[in-house]
This record gives sequence, structure tokens and C-alpha cells, in this order.
Amino acid sequence: MFIVPKEREVPQGVVIPSPVKDNREMITSNWRSKRPYMKYLDKCNLCRNCYIFCPDGCWTVDEENEVVVWNADFCKGCLICVTECSAKALDAADELDFDGGVIRLEKSF
Amino acid sequence: MAHVHEVTIWARGVVQDKEGRDVSQIIALGADKENKFTQAFDDYEDLPDRVGVPVRKYTRISDEEIVMRYDYENENPETVIVMDESIVKGINILRHMKQKGVLIVNTKRPAADILKFIPNKDLLDKIVCVDAEEIAAGATTVDFSGSEGGVDATSLGAGISAPLVGAALKATDLVALDSILDIVVNKEALKRGYEEAVIESVN
Repeated sequence: MFIVPKEREVPQGVVIPSPVKDNREMITSNWRSKRPYMKYLDKCNLCRNCYIFCPDGCWTVDEENEVVVWNADFCKGCLICVTECSAKALDAADELDFDGGVIRLEKSF
Repeated sequence: MAHVHEVTIWARGVVQDKEGRDVSQIIALGADKENKFTQAFDDYEDLPDRVGVPVRKYTRISDEEIVMRYDYENENPETVIVMDESIVKGINILRHMKQKGVLIVNTKRPAADILKFIPNKDLLDKIVCVDAEEIAAGATTVDFSGSEGGVDATSLGAGISAPLVGAALKATDLVALDSILDIVVNKEALKRGYEEAVIESVN
């Protein structure tokens, strides 16, 4: 094993905290034709698989109320969270089954 | 300059890209057979498309030569074809439409369910609903050649584009059904789309 000599060790770089602000310039809610939603709230065991696997960081954990929160503005409907949900609490439904949740844009994005 | 009939097609990127382009090309080729001047092209701004992103395809039909040389978007579409029902919720699909337009939606829902997501629906003359997914058995052809429509003018209308064109011809007088019969691959789906399309007048 190659060991880096002490004098050549590189200090750890900058630690970037997870994004705390939404990019309102790039709303992607209208990419979605299917929507993941919490079907069985009592089944959810807060395993955080949805939070880990979501490519857009749309699932966050509300530690206080012990629920996962979904960000409707940026979810593209890839449904990876539904596949990865270990407790099978999440399910997919047609976007038109819900009234709101999609920001209406003039162009694609 | 003679009147130019503008058709705008909204489709989902990558998964419906080829099918959406097929719709624009079938209508244009059919009108070309009727000795009209036509154009069919993709929206430049929307490319390169990503999976699920709403993309636009355009067709223009005119009796005289189309001289809108540097207009790369249809400014005032009269016919709008939506290939995925959920696009009506996220996009102002009737943007800049003048009065009395026609909207064709690929959906299994009744027209009232679609219209409640369109706040400016008073622009419409009629709405056409057709379940193209069911008629074409969910078939969608995907083009990975990377040519963005340059070379894939073969096998037009093999999937959900055929019933949607059929529905569009029933509600409008863009082209006659006979003109496009030998262009479309899935002729059975084209005829079923023509027959099963439900036309409802708005207002």
C-alpha cells in the first residue's frame, strides 16, 4: 500500500453543507408525469432511503415531526424513491390525480 | 403573405421525442402530397432534450410559399397536440393562441378533467381526447441516432403518433386521411384514432 509521507499530506478541503436554498430559476416540476407520494404514513420507518437515493434532493427529513417531506417544485418523477423505499410506504400516482403541486411555466424550463 | 396554419406538438423528451417528431412530419408530408407548402422541425431551444422534459415540435402548412425564414418558433399556434396529458398542468400550452384553436390530448380521462388544468381555456374552440396509449398498445419508438430527426424519416407513425394524427385530422381540416395513409406504418392505429377520438366543443 502506498503511504503518503507526512509532509506531503493534503489537508481536507472545504466541506460544503447541503444546499439550503432552492434555485428558483430552474423549476423542474413540469418534467413529471408520475408523482411519488406517501401512501402509508404509518409504514414509514424513517430509513431515509428516499433521502439518500433522490438525485435531486427532493426528500428531506423533518426531525421534529418524524416525517419525510417532499419538495414538489424540483421532483422530476423518476420514481427511484418508490423503488428504494424499504417499507413500501411510498407509491406512484398520475400527476393529474392531484390538483396543485406543479408550477405552470411558459416554456419548458 | 398567405395564411400559415401553425401546429405545435408538445411531447416528453427522449421517451416521446421520435413519436412527437413523427406527428409533425406525417402532417407535413400529407400536406405536401396535397401540393401545399410545409415545414416540420424541432424547437431549437428545447434541444438537447432530457428524459421527461417537455419539448416542442412544429409544423407549418400554407397555400403559398412560407416566408417566415427566421422564425424558429410558432408564434400563434392554431392547433396544439399534447402527447402526454400531464404537460397541460405544467406548461401554458395555449400560449399566444388566437381565438378558436383546437387542442388534441393523449389521455384516457374525459375532457372536463383536462380542461380544469387549463386556466385560459376560453381560447379554445374544441378539445379532442384520444387514448393513444391504449390504441397503440403503449408502443413508442426511440431514436438514439443522435441526428435529432435528420435521418429517421423512415417508419413514421409506428407508435402513439399514429392515433394522435388520426384524432387531429378528425377535428381539423389540416390534411385528408387518404393523403397520409401510405406514410403511416401503423394504419390500424391511425384509423382507430380517427374513429375513437372524442371531440367536445368548449364555450
